Amino acid sequence: MAAAADASGPGVGAAFREGHVEADGLRIRYREAGDGPPLVHLHGASGLYLTPAHDQLSRRFRVIAFEMPGFGASPGSDRHDGAREMAATMGAAIAALGTGPVNLLGTSIGAKVGLWLALQGPERVTALVLEGPSGIRPEGTAPGAGAATPPSRESLAPLLHAHPDRLDAIALPDPATWAKTWPLVQRLRGPDRDADFESRLPALATPTLVLFGTRDGIVPPEIGRRYKELLPNSHLVYVYDAAHAIAADRPAAFTEVVEDFLERHEAFVISRADTVIFP
Amino acid sequence: MKVSYFETGRYMSARPMPSEWPVPSGAYDPEAGAQAYRTMIERVQCAEAIGFDWVSVSEHHYSPRILTPAPIVSAAYIAARVHTIKIALLGPIVPQSNPVRVAEELAMVDTLSQGRLVVGLLRGTSNEALTYDLNPAEARERTDEGMELVLRAWAEPQPFGWQGRHFRYRTVSIWPRPLQQPRPTTYALGTSRESCEFAARHRIGCGVSYGSFESVARSTAHYRAECARHGWEPGPDDIIYRANMILAETDDEAHAVLARQPTTAPFSMRAGVRDAIAKVDARNIAGTARPPVVSGALPTTFIGGPDTVVEQVRRCRREVGAGVLDLSLLPPGSGDPDALLRSLELFGKTVLPRIREI
Repeated sequence: MAAAADASGPGVGAAFREGHVEADGLRIRYREAGDGPPLVHLHGASGLYLTPAHDQLSRRFRVIAFEMPGFGASPGSDRHDGAREMAATMGAAIAALGTGPVNLLGTSIGAKVGLWLALQGPERVTALVLEGPSGIRPEGTAPGAGAATPPSRESLAPLLHAHPDRLDAIALPDPATWAKTWPLVQRLRGPDRDADFESRLPALATPTLVLFGTRDGIVPPEIGRRYKELLPNSHLVYVYDAAHAIAADRPAAFTEVVEDFLERHEAFVISRADTVIFP
Repeated sequence: MKVSYFETGRYMSARPMPSEWPVPSGAYDPEAGAQAYRTMIERVQCAEAIGFDWVSVSEHHYSPRILTPAPIVSAAYIAARVHTIKIALLGPIVPQSNPVRVAEELAMVDTLSQGRLVVGLLRGTSNEALTYDLNPAEARERTDEGMELVLRAWAEPQPFGWQGRHFRYRTVSIWPRPLQQPRPTTYALGTSRESCEFAARHRIGCGVSYGSFESVARSTAHYRAECARHGWEPGPDDIIYRANMILAETDDEAHAVLARQPTTAPFSMRAGVRDAIAKVDARNIAGTARPPVVSGALPTTFIGGPDTVVEQVRRCRREVGAGVLDLSLLPPGSGDPDALLRSLELFGKTVLPRIREI
C-alpha cells in the first residue's frame, strides 16, 4: 500500500475502508467512505492516493476511489494497451459495485479513462469531472514521454504542486512503484493528440466539468479550451494557484466547485452566495 | 529612452485645503474641478505635440492631489482627444476592483483608442485600502490573483470559471477583447519581490516608482534575474521608472523651485490610523522590508538644468535599466498649471531630443 500512504497527509482518508470487486477477471481494489450519491474516482499516473478533498466529498457522496489494475501493489497489467481498454475494465468494476449510474471523477490519465468509459456507456455516468485531464496535450509537452525510466520525484514535484513545500507529502508513489507503473502510465497517456478520441467527444452529452490548475506543469492549462470546444455540455473552470494535483493543492476550492457542479450541473453557474452583511 | 507624461488632473483652488487624508469632500470646489479637467486636456495635447510617447494616468481616491479616482474614465476621455500618443493606465488598483470588470474596461479602452493602451496593474498605496474597506493584510494576495485573472480573461477564447482564493466567477467570456493581441503592453507595477516575480513569470513588464536609483535598481535587478529563471530576457521597454522631475534653465533655479514644494507626505493619514496600517500592510523592495507609509514628500530624482537632467537620465538607464520614464514635471499636487506647461515645453526643447538615444 506504499502508493496510498506515501501521498496522503496525516489523518487524511482515515474514514475510508478497503474494498475489492471482481471484474474482467481481475481483483480490483478500492477505498470507500460516505453515503449519498455514488462518486467514483479514477486516479492519475501517481496511483490511488487520498487527499483532504476525498474526505470533504465523502460528507455528501459515497466516494469510491478505485485503484486501476497495474497501479500500486496490484499485479502488473499487460493487457491494457491504452485508456480505452482500461475504461472497459473499470466500467465492469463500476457495474460490479451494483450502484447504478455514478458521478465519475477522473484525474489526469484517469480523466481520459473516464471519458472513454462515458463514451462506451453514457447511461452509466450521471456527470463527469475531469481534474487536469491529460488526454489532449500540446505536442511534445508530456514530461518523460518515450523515456524508459520515469522522471524523478524531484523534477515532478514542482509540476504537480504549486507549492510542494507546503504539503505533507508529494502526490507520487515510492520510487519502486513509480518505476513499475511507468510503462502502463505511458500506454494510458497515449499520443499527445489522438484524433480518434477527440473526434468522438462532440457526441458525448454527459454534463462535464473540466478543471485545470493555473500552475499545472504537467498539462498546459490552456488546453482546457479544447475540451470546452469538443464537449457540448461542458464547463471549464481554472483553479487559481493549483498545479496538476488540484485536489491536493487546493482541496477546499476543489471540493466546492465539484460538489456544486455535481448537485446542479449547468445551473451551477447561478450564484447562491449570500452577501447580506446585517440582515 | 521613451518618455511618458504623468497627468494627475491638477486641481487648483483658492479654498483652504485640509492636508489630511481623506480630504473632506465638502472642501471640493466644483468649478476648480472642471478647470482641472479642461487644463488636463490642454497639457496632454501639449505633451503629444512635444513628442512624448505616452500619457499616463493613475488611480487615487478622496483627495485633490491626484484627481482621477476612475482612471479608466480619464483614459477613455483623453484617448478621444489625442491621436498618436499612447494612453498608459498605470494603473487600476487591482485588489479593490472586480478583475473581470477591469479586464473588460481595459479591453474597451484599448479598442476605443484603436490599440493605443498601455496597462500597469498594481496594489495601490496604503491609504487606498481604506477607500473601499480592503483588508491591507489581504491586499498582496488579492493583487496577484486579480492580475492573473485579468490576463486570463483577455486570453481565453472559451467561457471559463475562476475558482480563486479571493475571487470566484463561474462565467467569464469578455467582449470586446483587446485590439492589441495577444494583449496590450502590460506591466506589474511595484518594487516588491512578489510583483517582480509575477511580472517575470507572466512575461510582462515591470514598473518601479519614486525611490532612488539605487533602491529601485534592486527591484529591477531582481526582476531581470527572475526573467532569466523563466527563460527570457526583458528589454529596456519592459522597465518603467515613474519619478518627479524639476527642470529649469539652470540647476540653481531648479533647486529654488524644489524648495518651494510642499514637504508633507502624500495622502497623510491620522497618526493612529497610519501606525495601525503599518502593522498589517507589509511592503518590500525586492524582498527587503520597507515602511508602507511614506513619511515626507516623495523624492525628486531628476532635478536641475538640462545638462544635469540629461546626465541623470543616463545614470537612470545605466543603473535602473529603465527604458521608459514616466514623469511628473513638478510633483503632483504642487505648482500652478502654467508653470507645468512651461516645464513641458522646456523639456521638449532642451531634454527630450538629447535622451532619445540613451
